[in-house]
Amino acid sequence: MIVFLQSLMSGVLIGGVYALIGIGLTIIFGVMRVINFAHGDILMIGMYLTYFLFSVFGIDPFLSVAICIPVMFAFGALTQKFFINRMLGALPQNQILLTIGLGLIMSNTIMLLFTSDYKILTTSYSSGSVDLAGISVSQPLAISFFITAAITAALYWFLMKTDIGQAIRATAQDREAAQLMGINVRWTSILAFGIGSALAGTAGALISPTYYIFPQVGSAFTLKAFVITVLGGMGSIVGATLGGIIIGVTESMSAVYISSGWKEVVVYVLFLLVLLFKPSGLMGTSRM
Amino acid sequence: MRVTLSATARRGASPLGLGLFAAAVVVLLLFPQFVKSPYALHMMVLFFLSVIMGESWNILGGYAGQYSVGHSAYFGVGAYTTMILMTAKGIPPWFGVWVGVVVVVGVALIIGSICFRLRGPYFVLASIAVAEIMRLSAFNLKELTNGAEGILAVSVPPLTIGGTVITDFLSKVPFYYFGLGLALLTIAVTWVVEHSKLGYFFQAIREDQDAAHSLGISLTLYKNIALVISAILTSLAGSYYAVYVGFVDPNTVLPLDLSVQIVLISIIGGIGTLFGPVVGALVLVPLSEALRSNLITQAFFSMGLVSQDSKVGIFLQENLAHAHVLIYGILVVIVILFMPEGVLGFVTRLVQKITRRDA
Amino acid sequence: MAILEVKNVSKFFGGLAANSDVSFSVEQGMIMGLIGPNGAGKTTLFNCITGYYPPSRGEVTFDGRRMNGLQPDKVCKLGMARTWQKVRPLAKMSVLDNVMVGALCRTNSLKVARDVAMEQVKVVRLEHKLNFLAGGLPIGERKKLEVARVLATRPKLVLLDEIMGGLNPAESEELIQLIFDIKKDGITQVVIEHDMKAIMRISERIVVINSGEKLAEGTPAEIVATPEVVAAYLGSEH
Repeated sequence: MIVFLQSLMSGVLIGGVYALIGIGLTIIFGVMRVINFAHGDILMIGMYLTYFLFSVFGIDPFLSVAICIPVMFAFGALTQKFFINRMLGALPQNQILLTIGLGLIMSNTIMLLFTSDYKILTTSYSSGSVDLAGISVSQPLAISFFITAAITAALYWFLMKTDIGQAIRATAQDREAAQLMGINVRWTSILAFGIGSALAGTAGALISPTYYIFPQVGSAFTLKAFVITVLGGMGSIVGATLGGIIIGVTESMSAVYISSGWKEVVVYVLFLLVLLFKPSGLMGTSRM
Repeated sequence: MRVTLSATARRGASPLGLGLFAAAVVVLLLFPQFVKSPYALHMMVLFFLSVIMGESWNILGGYAGQYSVGHSAYFGVGAYTTMILMTAKGIPPWFGVWVGVVVVVGVALIIGSICFRLRGPYFVLASIAVAEIMRLSAFNLKELTNGAEGILAVSVPPLTIGGTVITDFLSKVPFYYFGLGLALLTIAVTWVVEHSKLGYFFQAIREDQDAAHSLGISLTLYKNIALVISAILTSLAGSYYAVYVGFVDPNTVLPLDLSVQIVLISIIGGIGTLFGPVVGALVLVPLSEALRSNLITQAFFSMGLVSQDSKVGIFLQENLAHAHVLIYGILVVIVILFMPEGVLGFVTRLVQKITRRDA
Repeated sequence: MAILEVKNVSKFFGGLAANSDVSFSVEQGMIMGLIGPNGAGKTTLFNCITGYYPPSRGEVTFDGRRMNGLQPDKVCKLGMARTWQKVRPLAKMSVLDNVMVGALCRTNSLKVARDVAMEQVKVVRLEHKLNFLAGGLPIGERKKLEVARVLATRPKLVLLDEIMGGLNPAESEELIQLIFDIKKDGITQVVIEHDMKAIMRISERIVVINSGEKLAEGTPAEIVATPEVVAAYLGSEH
C-alpha cells in the first residue's frame, strides 16, 4: 500500500510539470493548429538557461523561473514572428517539418555552446525529501509542483478574465470568426507561441535539479507533450492538465509494477490506444 | 496558371536525361578503379545509403503522401535481424537480409494497421510513437538485442557461390558496389512505381484521400502496398549499414533523429520526384561531412576569416564537428520557407526561367 | 427496372437526423433530380448511397445488390460513381492524369487508361488543358474535370452533386448538354442542383427533400404543382 501511495504521489508531482509542458503545446495548437515539434527543444533551452544562471551567477533554479518566463516568452514570440507565422496556411506536414528543423537548430546550437556532455545541476535540496505520513516526497519535485500549480492558476485567470486571454480563446475556437471580430490573429499567434514557450521553458527550469541536462533531452519531452495533449484533447487546457497527471502517474506506476525500462513503452502504447479509439481525447469536445 | 512541370515532363524521360543518367552510372561503376582512397569510398557508401533511405521513404511519403516520421523502425529491424542472425546463428548477411525483409513486412503490416486509420498530424505522431516503442524494446529485450551495449560483428563471412569466393568484404570496394546496386535498385523500383497504376493511385491518395476513395481506390490496400515497398527497401538499407559498420545499438539504428534525417533527404531534394532524394543526398552528405571533419573550420582558417589560435577558432575546431546535424536543421528551414518543391524543383524552375528569358 | 433503390434510409449524427426514412427508386437510364433547400440532407444522402457513411437505418440496393456497409471504392467498382459538391481535383496532377486515375479503376494498363481518359477529356471538352495541373483550373473546368473523372470509371449510374454551382449561364448550358450526352450513353443519373430552371429541364423525375425527409416525388410538372413544395422550397428560393 505504501509503495502504491508512494508511486502515486511521485507520479502526481511529476505529472504537474508534464501538465505545464502539455498546456504550452495545447495553447500553441489551439490557436494556430500547428503541431510544434520543437516544444521539447524549447524546454531544453529552459533547462540550459537555468543551468547557466545557476553555474555562473549562482541563481537558485526555482528563482530563475522568474527570469525564464520573460526570456522564453520573447524567444518563442520571435520564433513565431520570423518563422512560423510565414507558414500558417501551409500543409500541416510542412509546418511539422519546419518545427522539426527549428528544433534541430536549437539542440545543435546548444550543443555548440555547451558541448554534448551531460550536465547535472546539484542544489542543497536536489536529493532532499520530506516525510509525509510514511511517504517520502522529493523536495525539488514538491516545490516544482507548487510553482506549477500557481502558474497554471495564473494562466487560467489570464485566459478567462483578461481581454487578451479572451482574444486567444476566441482565436482558438474559430480563427476566421475571430478575424472578423477584429482580433489580430497574427499578433495572437505570436502571443500564443510566446506563452507556450514560456511554459515549456519554465517546465525545463523546474525539472533541471532532478534531470540530466543535455542537448538532445528535448525529443523525449516533445513526444511526451504530444501524448499529454492528445490524451487530453488537442487544444483543451483542462485536458492537458489532466493528461499530464495521468501520464505522470502511469509512468511512475509502470516503473514500479512493470519495470523502469518499459515505463515509456507503456505511455506510448496508451497513446496509440487513445489515438485509435478516442482520437478527440478525454476532453476532446471542449476547446480551451 | 502554370503549365505543369511534373506530370508529363516527368513521364517522358528525355534522351538527354537518360544519357546523363547512363553516364553517371558508368562513372560510378568505374569509380573504384581509379579512386583507391578508403575515405572517398566511405563517403560514397554514405551517399548511397542516403539515396537508398531517401528513395525508400519517398515512395510512401512523397508519392503516397503518408509522412512517416518513424522509418527508423524499418531500418532498425533490417539492421538488427541481419546482425543477430550473423553473430548469434552464424547466418551470412546475404541470407539474413532476406529474413530481415520478411520480418519487416510483418512489422510494416502491423504498423500500417494501426497508423493508417489516422490522418495528417495524427498519422505522423503515431508513426513516431511506434518507432519509439521499437527503440525502447531494443533496449529492453536484452537476450535478443544485447540492450544498450549493442551487437558487434568481428568479421563478415565471405560471399561464396558454389565454392567460389565472390568477395571477402575485406576492403570497402565490395560495399561500394553493393551500395551502388541497392541505390540503383531503389531508383528502379521508384521508376516502375511511377510508371504504373500504383504511382497514379499513390499520388491520388496523396492529393485527396476522399476523392481517391470515390474513384475506386482502396485506401487501406494501396497505402499498405506503399508502406511495404518502402519498408522493404529501408530494411535493406538498415542491413547494408549494419554489415558495413559491423555494429548496431538502439541509438544508432532506431533513433528518432534517423527517422527525421530520412524524411529530410527527400524534402530537401524534392519530394515525390524520382531524383529528388538523389539531389538531397548530394546536398546533405558532403555538407554534413564537411562539418563533421572540420573542413569548414579549416576553410575559415585558410580564408583568414578566423584565426586558428583565437578563442573563436579553437571553439569552432572543438565543437563544430559535433554539430553536423545543425546543417539538416538550417537546410530544412530554408527549403520549407523558400523552396517548397525542394532543391530539384527550385533549380528546375530557375533553369526554366532563364531559358524562357533567352527564348 | 429500377437500378437504384433507396428504402427507408435514415442517417443520424448524434441525436440529429440528417435523413429520415427517405425512399425512392431510380429507373435504368433516367435522369432523376434531387432538390431541396440548403442543409436539407441531399449530400448526406449521396454519402449514404455511395458508402461514405453507413446509413443508420434502411437499405440501399444498386443493380440488384445490397450496398449497405460497402466502402466507397467497392461502390465505384460496382458501377456507381459520384462527383463532389466541393470539387476535389487531384491538384498536383495534370488534367489527363486525374482522368486516368478514374480509368485505372477498370484496367491495369496505363495505355488503355490513357485512351479512355483522352476520350472522356474530349467529352467534357477539356482537351486544350490536357497537361495543366488540375489545381490551377478555374471553377467551371474543375467541375467538368470531376465529371470526366467519374465517367472514366465506366459507371452505370452517376450521382452529380451540384455540378453547375457557381458557374455562369454559358458554362451551365454546356454542362446541361453534357448531362444529355451522358444520358445518350445509357448512364443513369441522379442530379442535385440548385438551379430550378436547369433541374426542371433535365430531370424526368424529381425527388424533393426538406429537413431530411422526402417531401414529394414526381415529374417536374407535378412537382411545380405541389403546394407543399412551392411553400417549403420554391417559395423560399424565389
